[in-house]
Amino acid sequence: MASGSLIPTGSLRMAKLEDISNDFLREEVETFVTREDERENLIARYTAATPKMQAIAAGVVSARHHDVDAMTADALTTGTSALDVMDHGLIAGMALVGIKFRDMKIFVPEVLACARAMKAGMKHIEPILVASGIAPTGKVIMGTVKGDLHDIGKNLCIMMLRGAAFQVIDLGVDTSPDDFIEAVEEHGANIVGMSALLTTTMPNMAKTIEAFIDADLRDDVQFMVGGAPVTQIFADEMGADGYGDNAVECVDLAKKLSDENG
Amino acid sequence: MTSRQRVLAALNREPVDRTPVCNPTSVATVELMDLVDAHFPDANRDAEKMARLAATSYTELGFDTIMPVFSIIQESSAVGCKIQWEEKDNWPTVRMTEPIWSEPDDIRIPADFVKHPDAKCVLDAIRILKKEFGDEVAVIGKTMGPWSMGYHCFGVERFLLMSLDDPDMTRTCLDRMKQSTIEYGIAQIEAGADALTLPDHATGDLVSGEYYERYLRDMHIEFAETLKVPIILHICGRTVDRMEFIAQTGMAAFHYDSKNNPAESMEVVAGRISLVGNINNPETLFSKGPEDVAAEVRANLDAGVQLVGPECAIPLQTSIENLKAIPRAVREWHRAA
Repeated sequence: MASGSLIPTGSLRMAKLEDISNDFLREEVETFVTREDERENLIARYTAATPKMQAIAAGVVSARHHDVDAMTADALTTGTSALDVMDHGLIAGMALVGIKFRDMKIFVPEVLACARAMKAGMKHIEPILVASGIAPTGKVIMGTVKGDLHDIGKNLCIMMLRGAAFQVIDLGVDTSPDDFIEAVEEHGANIVGMSALLTTTMPNMAKTIEAFIDADLRDDVQFMVGGAPVTQIFADEMGADGYGDNAVECVDLAKKLSDENG
Repeated sequence: MTSRQRVLAALNREPVDRTPVCNPTSVATVELMDLVDAHFPDANRDAEKMARLAATSYTELGFDTIMPVFSIIQESSAVGCKIQWEEKDNWPTVRMTEPIWSEPDDIRIPADFVKHPDAKCVLDAIRILKKEFGDEVAVIGKTMGPWSMGYHCFGVERFLLMSLDDPDMTRTCLDRMKQSTIEYGIAQIEAGADALTLPDHATGDLVSGEYYERYLRDMHIEFAETLKVPIILHICGRTVDRMEFIAQTGMAAFHYDSKNNPAESMEVVAGRISLVGNINNPETLFSKGPEDVAAEVRANLDAGVQLVGPECAIPLQTSIENLKAIPRAVREWHRAA
């Protein structure tokens, strides 16, 4: 029996690039997204979004923060739910930004500008989500470890995490093990992200994990680590639960750990 | 050839008796600090201790250069940045989360900033080293470029966003900050530096190669013309996409990172600039053994890299044994060649 006879024509047809109505987004996907699974995912995501949401996503990708601000406000006042604007507009845009950054099609200044656009939209969304009690994807504590004042890598990870609907508590730089413990207890987070740029401060990641063991809190949290000198081997040796090489991997890892936490 | 002659010849891409071993950033380690009783943070602020620790590069490790500047905080401290000086086992760092400037008009390079104690101690250390080692070994100074100073004084995010939002304002800032690069470089040359490292971190980990061309290539040409000693540009991270532009600057050498393949890098620069590097720090020098270090040395020598050494300031906990493996591997390679 021909399988085609069992599938209603059209209803299960896989979306195609040309189905994305927003010209800018369509061209961006065509130009910059080469991995087949990611291409399919983004095409499905954008074709499922209304033209207004596609426009917001395009605004994030092209870093037009004033436009994203206005379009988000307009979408909310004309009946689109905050969750839809966040998922189908802002987060959908940041998904493409992350891919372009990972593949070195854009660099940190461009990502900072896209994140600024996302933030311009999120300032309208967040109060509504908080008021309606909608839970974030997960809650993550992030900090650069004790003795280390570098934060650009950590901040990029935070931008991408927020762009994927995580609630992030940023402890900044030079974060002591006690500060991490205090933040976990205060916010009830179960994922901790630690960053280090210096080989001299990498050991403070292990010391932080040891402090959680000493405080009998190790089983309550999962640790993800990253930073220029950090490798998977270092991460394994210090007993971390995961390592990310870049901001996109950080988000993938946080999602994985969050799923494991249930 | 003396070490000094060897280094200067290699920087000029002239014949050498063997490839010189060089770290134009820092070879300070905790073991070396203990050995000569010159520890961080004092060795970053006291000329005598700075010189004593720097000299170990030649006296203990057998490198052909001495570099007395162990980080990139001296000028930043002199212009007013807050510094976290840390302890023996950690680097001093600028508190970039507390920027001191936000607009071009905020930029103030004090007329006597080279006399600031944290700037002056480098000048004094160079004088001590020149007196003690004379023509024997190459003493290299370090003057930070305006792009790196922008990170320190404006904060990394603010400076990078400015570079995207307002290229004209960014150029104005760079143009004003370059005064520090030139004045500090000249002061170190007058103190006796044989060459200068010029760190300017427009790295591929942060910005595109096109950025280097847009903002820095012409300014680096100006530095190469103004500072009358060989200049070694240092940029960490991925840089092979901008080596074409770097090779156009007229600088003597480029200190490159292990994220770039030696043979590919040599092909891109095509004899227009010497390369220095690129032994991996965190995974090899810090974590592996002498044989792994030697393998990376050979990869550079096989590619024709003119000066061999670590890719950047080495981790403070690196073993002396691993560092000594570098000149040993260079000698063995030349014997076998």
